[in-house]
Formats: sequence, C-alpha cells, structure tokens
Amino acid sequence: MIKTNQSIQQAVIQGNVGSITKIVKHLLEQRHTAQQILDDQLLPGMEVVGERFKRNEMFLPQILMSAQAMQTAIDILKPILIQNADSSSRKTIIIGTVKGDMHDIGKNLVRIMLVGAGFEVIDLGVNVPAQHFLDATAEHQAAVVCLSALLSSTMNNMREVVQLFRSSGQLNNTRIMIGGASVSQQFSQSIGADAYAPSAPLAVELVRSFYNL
Amino acid sequence: MTGRERVLAALSRQETSRVPIGEIGGGYTDSIVQAILGNTYETGGDASFQNHLRIRQKLGADIVGARVTGPANELLGTHDDWGTPLFRDFWGATYTQPPDATVQLVEPIADTPVTLDQWQAPLVHNFDNSLLKRWKMETDLFVMATLNAGFDLGYELLGFERFMMWTIQAPDVMQGYYEKLIQTNLELALMSAKAGVDAVLIADDLAFNTGPFVDPVYLRQDYFPLLKNMITAIKKTGLPVFFHSDGDLRSLIPDLINCGIDVLQSCDPNANMDIPSLKREYGNDLVFMGNMDVDLLANGSVEEVQGTTRNLIREARTGGGFILSTSNVVASYCKPENVKAMYAVAHEELL
Repeated sequence: MIKTNQSIQQAVIQGNVGSITKIVKHLLEQRHTAQQILDDQLLPGMEVVGERFKRNEMFLPQILMSAQAMQTAIDILKPILIQNADSSSRKTIIIGTVKGDMHDIGKNLVRIMLVGAGFEVIDLGVNVPAQHFLDATAEHQAAVVCLSALLSSTMNNMREVVQLFRSSGQLNNTRIMIGGASVSQQFSQSIGADAYAPSAPLAVELVRSFYNL
Repeated sequence: MTGRERVLAALSRQETSRVPIGEIGGGYTDSIVQAILGNTYETGGDASFQNHLRIRQKLGADIVGARVTGPANELLGTHDDWGTPLFRDFWGATYTQPPDATVQLVEPIADTPVTLDQWQAPLVHNFDNSLLKRWKMETDLFVMATLNAGFDLGYELLGFERFMMWTIQAPDVMQGYYEKLIQTNLELALMSAKAGVDAVLIADDLAFNTGPFVDPVYLRQDYFPLLKNMITAIKKTGLPVFFHSDGDLRSLIPDLINCGIDVLQSCDPNANMDIPSLKREYGNDLVFMGNMDVDLLANGSVEEVQGTTRNLIREARTGGGFILSTSNVVASYCKPENVKAMYAVAHEELL
C-alpha cells in the first residue's frame, strides 16, 4: 500500500488536472505499481468525491473536474494495467440513452462516476436502438448495461432493450440497470431490469454490488 | 371573471371562486392539441393561433405564453449520423432532431473559452412582438412573455459539460457570457413589455431533482447579481416576473426572492418542491405555480389525476398566491384524458 501521501488523492478530489500527471509519473518512478496507485489513491479519491456529491458538498463542475483528473491518471496507467495480469479483472460497462431520447446529462454523469470508480465504460451515446446495446455488450464482453431515459415517452423503450437481452440466449444474464427522471424502482421491476439507480453515486454502488466489489 | 383577472387576483393573494390554471410557454405540444381538439383542429394559415386559442377555451385555461419571434432556424444542408438535417438557431448553435427523438446540440457556439469570449450575441432589435400583441388584443387570457436569462440558455448553446467545466476553468469568460445573454434577453423582455403583456416568464433551469447543478456560492457571486439586474429592469416596466426552473431549488429560493422574482413556476413534487409546504415557508414573498407531475399525467389513471389535483387545490389555494399548472408543460406523452381531468377538477372546485 502507498504510505500516507494524500497528494494524488487530493489532486483527484480537487480536480487538479494540471498536477496529476506529474504526481502519477513520480509515483511510478518511486516503484509504486499502477494497480497500487489506482486502488490506494485514485479510487478512494473518487469515492470521497461521490460521497460529497451525494451530500451536496460538491457540485457538477467539481465532479467533472475530478473525473477529468481521474481520466488523465488512468490514461497514464492504462498501458501498464493492460500488461498486468490483474487488469484482466477490469470490468466493462455499456451505457447509453435509449432510442427516441437525446438527453445525456444524467447518463454522462453516471459514466463519469463509473470511470472514476475504475470501470471501463463504453458510452453508446443517445438515441441508441435496443440492438446496439446487445451488439456492444457482446463485442466488449460486458456484464452490465446501464440505460438512461428522461422522458415518459421514451422510458418504455427500456422495456424493449430488457426483452431483447432476456430473449438473447447467451446474454440473458446481463445485469441491466436503469435510471432517469421518469423511471422508478417500480418501473424497473415491471420491465424486468435488475436495478434502478436514483442517482449517479448510487449507480456506482449498484454496479459495484453486481461485481461483489 | 376573465383569466387575466383571475391570475392577477392570485398574484395579489386574493382567493377566487376557483384557482387560476394554465401553462407556461407554448403550454401544450401539438399532438396533445390535436388529440384534445379532434375534428376542430385547424390546418390553415392561421392554425397555430386558432388551435392554441381553442385548446385553452376547451380546457378552460387562463394563461397563454408566447415569445418575441426571431428568424426561423436555418437548415444547413448537412445531416447527422441518423440522416436527419442539421439546423442552426439564431444564437448560432447547430442542432439535430431525429424522427421521434428530442433535440440534440451538435455544434456549440464556441469550443474554447477564447472563442466564447469573442462570441457576439445576435442583434434582436428587429425581432417581432406581434404575436404577443395579438394574444393581448384578441383574448382575455393572462399573456406571459417567455424568454431566457444566462444560465439555462448558456449551457444549451455550449453543451452542458463544457459549460459546467468552464464555470471553474474560465469564470471571467463565463461571467461575460452571462452578461451578453442576459442583455439580449432583457431587450426581448422590454420588447415584450411594449406589446402589452401581463407578465414576463424567465425560463432558467438551475437544478437537478436532488439540488443545484452548481455551488450556490458560485451563483451568488457570478450569476445572481446579473439576474437581479435583469429582473429589476423588467420590473421597472411594472410587469411581474415569473421564474421557471426544474429541480430542487429550496437552497436557492432566498436568492431568487432577493433577485426580485414574483412567481416561482415548476415546483415539481418529484424534486422536493411541493407547493403547500413552499407556501407555508415563503408564501409572503412568492406566489407559486405548478406542482402537477407530468409523469402522473403520462402514466396515471384519470382517478389518480383527479385525486391529486383535488388534494393540491385543497392544500394550496388558501389565501391565493397559487396558480395550478403542470410542473413543466403538457408534454406529447401525457394522456389527453388526464389533461382534461386535471383542468376539469380545477373548474369544479368552488370556494
């Protein structure tokens, strides 16, 4: 474990994009492993960010800055993590806004928080047809799919996605989580989704629970 | 009592024989207008005005919202990944709207703080306020001019994430941007006032259902002083100012009162903004409008809508200061029978 050196964690919390590259490189030169830097500093830093966001102590601009700092660090560490056998356990999530809906604020927030939590996130964007979710899940060997919809008119397209997965054979056990202003726990259950995330931090907690993390 | 008189009474904290009811902005999407008007829906040259007048007459609405109009969106002759034509609005941002989907920003007005700093707001002096005049002259509805300010419009033209990041990375540029947007919208407000409207509605979403997008401290320092100047200038014309924002605004309400707003609209029950409790806390300073959940109108039964409407009126009408509406507008996915039920209950409630 990295000894008490809060600077990289603080750089994530403070969204200090300018200094994080230097700190990560310094830690690697000090023979800390990429996995250590990720597990001991970066991920705990983003956990603090998520908690503060939940308590309205941090707001969206700060979250975005923290996520950018996190992404900058991960971009440096990723080639090393890929070489490392442990990195085979890196989890891939598919995320997108369902067909008919062009809203992406909530979806992007969940993506940012998931990246911050160390997941590999494939963002399919907005207005995504059901089949694209299925294809991307197969292509990237993802175990979790996150569906977003803002509108009452488009939330029913989530049902189509869930039904497609459930009838797909080998991908029928894919965990599907839904979120968005119009949806609810009750709706999630009614369409056969695995979880409803009422907020971005809770989305991360739910995805972690899927992986027993 | 006319719709105009009924709303004015609510603003003066007077109880009326029934609560005023109506929607902000366009109010009712065209598919809802068609569904409710049925074979009386018009398609001729004056159809838009006539249909929007008729749906208000049919439902018994007291309010109409409209904008000073600028040039139409410009078709660019190019297409997005879905094959849908791209178009540019008069602010200079480019959008797409695939079939059966909502509008999406494709190209912002600026992609760096430097280019944003150089951006010039459009000239609006030759925009047309005749639609507002017509509503005022030809109806007895309460006519509300709809416009924006600097925040919501700001992120619509830039893209949400870019906007949010720049509030930290380029605060001075953002403040200059707010000033330009607010100055332009103030011009539109003053043009609206000349048309004889009854009120100005500023649409400016500031919050998620869980709270403000940005730190209230930031808003107090960099944004609310500009908003206050805008509202002060509008109120010098004698018009009340309605303010629409979705989301949980409870931590911002004292600031909005300080800015000078008269009416807070939306009050989404899903965002911790139920009007009966807001009235108890801020009823001396603000009138509240909204509180009917659009999702209930979309997914609920007629009986549920009737019950919710009755409860809301019962709890919110005492002492005036309440205008019934949806917490947004009547969206295309609302069930027409639910919309009719909500309005019918408002009309059957007598003091």
